[in-house]
Amino acid sequence: MSGIGLPSDRSGPVRSGSVQLPTFLRSGALRKLLRDPVATLGLAIVMFALIVAVFAPWLAPHPEDAYESHLLQRLQAPSAEFPFGTDNLGRDILSRVILGTRSALVVAVSVVGAAMLIGVPMGLVAGWKDSWLSELLMRVTDVFLAVPQLILALALGQLMAPGLTTAMVALALTYWPFFARTVFAETRRLRTSLFVDALASIGASPARILLLHVLPNAAPAILVRATIGMGFTILTAATLGFLGVGAAPPSPDWGLAISEARQHLPEAWWFPTFPGLAILLLVLGFNLLGDGLRDAADPRLRRSRR
Amino acid sequence: MHATPAPARAPLLSVENLSVQIRTDGGLARILDDVTLAVPRGTTLGVVGESGCGKSTLLRAILGILPRGAMVPKGAVIFDNTDILEDGAKSARGRIGFVPQDPYLSLNPVFRAGDQILEIMRRHAPGTRRDHKAKLIELFRAVQLPEPEAALAKYPHQFSGGQRQRLLIAAALACDPALVVADEPTTALDVTTQQEILALLRQLTAERGLSLLFVTHDFGVLAALCDQVVVLYAGRVAEAGPTRAVLDAPRHPYTRLLLACHPDRAEDLVGIPGTVPAATAQPEGCRFHPRCPLARPACHAAPPPVLPLAGGRGVACPYNAEELPEMVLA
Amino acid sequence: MPEILGASGLVVELGARRGLLRHQAGVRAVDGVDLSVQAGETFGIVGESGCGKTTLARALLGLQREADGEIRLEGRIVSGREPATARRERAAVHYVHQDPGAALDPWWRVGAALAEGLTIHGVRDPAEQRARISETLAAVGLDPAFAERYPHELSGGQQRRIGLARILLLRPKVVILDEPTAGLDLSVQAAVLRLLRELRGRFGLTYLFISHDLSVVRRVCDRVAVMYLGRVVEEGTARDLFEAPRHPYTRALLAAAPRLPPPARAGGQGDPLQTSGAADIPSLPGDPPSLRAIPAGCRFHPRCALAEPRCAAQDPAAEVVGPEHSVACHRWREAAPVPSQHSTEPA
Repeated sequence: MSGIGLPSDRSGPVRSGSVQLPTFLRSGALRKLLRDPVATLGLAIVMFALIVAVFAPWLAPHPEDAYESHLLQRLQAPSAEFPFGTDNLGRDILSRVILGTRSALVVAVSVVGAAMLIGVPMGLVAGWKDSWLSELLMRVTDVFLAVPQLILALALGQLMAPGLTTAMVALALTYWPFFARTVFAETRRLRTSLFVDALASIGASPARILLLHVLPNAAPAILVRATIGMGFTILTAATLGFLGVGAAPPSPDWGLAISEARQHLPEAWWFPTFPGLAILLLVLGFNLLGDGLRDAADPRLRRSRR
Repeated sequence: MHATPAPARAPLLSVENLSVQIRTDGGLARILDDVTLAVPRGTTLGVVGESGCGKSTLLRAILGILPRGAMVPKGAVIFDNTDILEDGAKSARGRIGFVPQDPYLSLNPVFRAGDQILEIMRRHAPGTRRDHKAKLIELFRAVQLPEPEAALAKYPHQFSGGQRQRLLIAAALACDPALVVADEPTTALDVTTQQEILALLRQLTAERGLSLLFVTHDFGVLAALCDQVVVLYAGRVAEAGPTRAVLDAPRHPYTRLLLACHPDRAEDLVGIPGTVPAATAQPEGCRFHPRCPLARPACHAAPPPVLPLAGGRGVACPYNAEELPEMVLA
Repeated sequence: MPEILGASGLVVELGARRGLLRHQAGVRAVDGVDLSVQAGETFGIVGESGCGKTTLARALLGLQREADGEIRLEGRIVSGREPATARRERAAVHYVHQDPGAALDPWWRVGAALAEGLTIHGVRDPAEQRARISETLAAVGLDPAFAERYPHELSGGQQRRIGLARILLLRPKVVILDEPTAGLDLSVQAAVLRLLRELRGRFGLTYLFISHDLSVVRRVCDRVAVMYLGRVVEEGTARDLFEAPRHPYTRALLAAAPRLPPPARAGGQGDPLQTSGAADIPSLPGDPPSLRAIPAGCRFHPRCALAEPRCAAQDPAAEVVGPEHSVACHRWREAAPVPSQHSTEPA
């Protein structure tokens, strides 16, 4: 690779090791991710949940149990016919867990998506310059941060019709400040960095710098926040369902199932256990995936094999 | 340099045929290969080389802090007649002082400077805390820190860069080491501050009879401070000997070409063609041969051994580098 | 040669804070600097940390607002503009950072970063961008395949070349190089300096060469200015400055810089241990004072071996010593020029 007699530098990278060229969505990132066993596990869980959610009606052995009841079979322990047992209305719990995956994912994605849409631009604008506007935006953020999610959901439930949509609105409204704060901190950190300075020096406008440079650099932090948010949202939505201000019966929502199961404990142990395990698994999956994605997507991180 | 006719004592530190390798994503990195050098008592040895030459790994081997996963297929590091590689440098703890490179990053900003050094002393030096404190104040005086008593209570950020480097030197001397290892301690400093630190090091090594292993990439600093020099290239020793002799008449083609790049010597601005090989893809035979104007087929076949020359010098090249001026240098 | 970039009485303040209730004055990082860079030359600026050289560079670029004084570019006055527009008028001046790897967005491929400069300046056609980028990469001695790499995958020398390529694409006339050889291996440094020289000839550039490495400055610069605490204390051709420095600070600086001694003559006796000649010129006492506590009179007098009462009272103005050589010191005549070891004659 080296050329004798040339004043030029035609060598490859001097470092031994990483030759991956990952961009956020390229297969390079995927390959890197797959080398991390913990992150791969997270990815597997999430993919599994995704497939289950998409094919739920076909995967569930008793899809009609989303809304039908079979009182003759109520509260049966797990068996060959009903691997997760049946609930208080005789519905197959396995099927309901499968069907509930859809709702869990939809809620998580919508809430986190909405929170990002509000919070990220706010953080960018507030973080760029120290002005009265950024002060104002950050104080508004603080106000929303101070509101407890559950209380807001309950309050909104009074104003609007209680139900899953209301719960989602409440969750989004209380989660966006986390994005705003994260992005604010990242923007402030990045605006003094050398490459932003260099961009200004070659004539880049603030808009260009913010959208094309600050945002991608803040992406790892946003991503971590988003995956934590997914897990958190699923948990909180379940809690809201549990409290009766989220999903309404006969929805196969996991939180609702746990709520309904309360009265039948401790005999019908299977009733809350399987929906609870589903929540646990999915939240875990998102968290592991989020950590792994952040590490894999950052072009600078590399690991040497031990 | 001393001309004592007394029976030669064993050198304080002797690195013998040291090889260090580590597995990386890109393959097996042969970072050091068959490196031999010695620091006689009371002398200053400079280790000079460009990036990729392995000097950091060499330092880590001597200090016993090789990264996890590093393998030492052969070789020994003998400090005061004990192979310290065998026991992970435990026997050398407290007897080899270390001056790190960056005075701004090497001190923990949330603890007082004095406390950080006292902690080192507590672990490796006998005596009570009061003894240590008194000794530390003496050390601060020796390294010419202003107001030594007050300095004990200060935080690192309250010192300037040059003062911080003095703190680090004091830390290195805290346990009365026989050998001090310094990793380019003046690169982050201004030129005038650097001059003071170098003068301080000269004074301290003379006063205390210290041996000093000084890693640097700056030939000017090397000339100012070091009695002996070892030139490393791609993990191997290219040349070694008394500093002045090596700088005046380098024998290895690499040393010769490198010195020709220095702005103080360069006839014209030239580089050395090619680049340092990656540690995972070292050339066969002599590691410099792909870039060497004197290369012959024999250079590809086997690594050249270090040939001893007059005046305590050694060079790992069988050919006479003085033929180089005839060669095209660009 | 005509002046291409110049400054008169330039003052730049940093860190002034204006709160609702209190006003904290800033420091004058640059305090009355006159500068005149001729087209086509390499003008060196030398000084230690805190001397103001980086702030000077940013002010010349338009990234830092000047508090007073005038800046001229190609004969036009370009100072005194609003911060938002200041940079635009000085598009002929560009800056290569000290740490060129950090000056690139780590999430962008190098090629995209290069193209971005072109896009910002109106060259949007992808084919033309590719052509120009290939051409420029070749000019800096890099394979066009480097466009696919990420900044962290490049070595220090390669990063520097990319940094150069990036601004070369924008057809600058004046390039401010901030520590272009810092952190580079010796062989890479030589190659980079050679490249800079080639590019200067090929593209008709003028360089403002900021460095603390005196050996390099002596080698590549035509004229040099020495800065101390925001002022220029001595200025002249490289030869004059290094062979016959007049200002005590310049001398101390030159004495402190460790030099590679020239090889001893064949058969001669070299010193067994060549020190940098510092034995006869004492090192500068004390640390450089902070910009917040600038000494009265001559800024250098507290550390100057030649200081007298006059120096504490009166700030010396620049006086002419010789052709193109000026110094700001009351006592420059009395200090006989020491035969400096930094002679430009070959060994």
